[in-house]
Amino acid sequence: MEEIELLKLENISYKSQKYESLLNVSFSVRKGESVVIFGPEDSGIINLCPIIAGLTQGYEGNILYKGKSIKSLNYLETHRYRQDLGYLQRDYGLISNMSVLENISLPLKYHSNLSTIEIEELVDNHIKEMNLTDCRNKRPVYLKRSERLKTAFLRSIILSPEMLLLEHPIDGQCLFNIQIFFQALKKILLTKAMSAIFITYYPKLFIDLADKFIMLHKGHIVFTGSRADFSLTDNRYLHQYFNLLPDGPMAEL
Amino acid sequence: MISRKISSFWNGIKNFNTYIISIIISFKSIKHLRFRSIFTIAVNQTKFTGIDAMPLVASIAILIGGTVIIQATENFPKFGIEGFIGNLLVLIIARELGPLITAIIVITRSGSAITTEIATQKQHNEIFSLELMGIDTKLYIVFPRIIASIFSIFSLIIIFDIVGFLGGYLIAVTTVYIPIDNFLTTVMDAFSFEDLVITLVKSTIYGILIPLISCYYGFMPNAYFEIPIYVSRAVIRTVWIIFLINALISAMLYF
Repeated sequence: MEEIELLKLENISYKSQKYESLLNVSFSVRKGESVVIFGPEDSGIINLCPIIAGLTQGYEGNILYKGKSIKSLNYLETHRYRQDLGYLQRDYGLISNMSVLENISLPLKYHSNLSTIEIEELVDNHIKEMNLTDCRNKRPVYLKRSERLKTAFLRSIILSPEMLLLEHPIDGQCLFNIQIFFQALKKILLTKAMSAIFITYYPKLFIDLADKFIMLHKGHIVFTGSRADFSLTDNRYLHQYFNLLPDGPMAEL
Repeated sequence: MISRKISSFWNGIKNFNTYIISIIISFKSIKHLRFRSIFTIAVNQTKFTGIDAMPLVASIAILIGGTVIIQATENFPKFGIEGFIGNLLVLIIARELGPLITAIIVITRSGSAITTEIATQKQHNEIFSLELMGIDTKLYIVFPRIIASIFSIFSLIIIFDIVGFLGGYLIAVTTVYIPIDNFLTTVMDAFSFEDLVITLVKSTIYGILIPLISCYYGFMPNAYFEIPIYVSRAVIRTVWIIFLINALISAMLYF
């Protein structure tokens, strides 16, 4: 893995009116590194991806992408920066009046120099790889949940972004589909040397994918560690989280 | 109560102003926009706003044209001004009713659909996902609708005028006798190049305003239950603004 720091969050604090807050959150993601960020409801994890993508404003601290603060990006640079991020939303956000093919092709049609035929060929190859051929021309409403996940995933990687942001990607999916999705994800991350940030309530499922684990509680980071640290730690927060204990540091005021 | 209304009205103007500024800022990135990405939207919008609305526009044009022609041919001779029937038709149908009724049809049919579509997309996080793809949503959503709307409204006004005159004539001849050559001569004499230019001006202004206001209200709802509220507001306020603009244009261009 290269040691180039792709993304760095420095003392991010954010007070949301609607959701939980973040308090002095700092971490970094190296090129090709996968980071799992987890925590209970009200931990602040829900705010992280929109802040990183530059969609949420009004936070304190700094986010550096390839060494440059995203606050300093102008209007056009912000749009270009977002092309570098493949974002998979929790509810997938597929465009309801577009087919699977059109949904996946949209970023390419908008941003790339490829011809329409080249785009269709490229997207069709991905559709075939993900076993979506049968629903190529279906609209999202006619798709199964696993097919929606695959479509949204393909759309997020179609521009070959430098970094993936995946918000609760496996919520509501059956374990079998999760395994199939993880295989595809692993292949993409390895072959394209992409970095990834996973936001999830189920970090253990990502144990084979992630290099680093970060736990948040009430906006604070309460655990940071490698895969080995995550497996072997005696951190009280993790102990309470994984054993579903009513008593522990997360129950304390 | 009154101060609250004034404050609400003022906030509305400020919000709309912010929205317009955001659209102007969006136009900075128009040079990076690949038209193929908005082509389907523009075509679909033109089909829905223009082609699909043609039967409705034509049928209303026939009914209004017939009513105006029947009233004019029945009553003008009583005042000894039957020679001005053509002028009246051009004045009423081509200059005023044609653009106005076409605009009202487009607002109620397409404007409400635009607001509902965008509001629903917003609730489904589709607008959010467009932003995440680095797509300029204002440009991607509003711009093709403006293009489609201008083209559709101009075409519909022309269709309204032609059908209004000819269809109206056909209805009118069932109740009063009007020689066709007389009718056509008086209408053509009264019609000027200026009327065509004004039709173009009105269709451009309406074509910009209707999708602009409809999209504005489409972006507003923060929950599903708010969608009908904003759709209703979009329709009522766009109709009101179109009446106001129509009166202003007529006052400016014909006085």
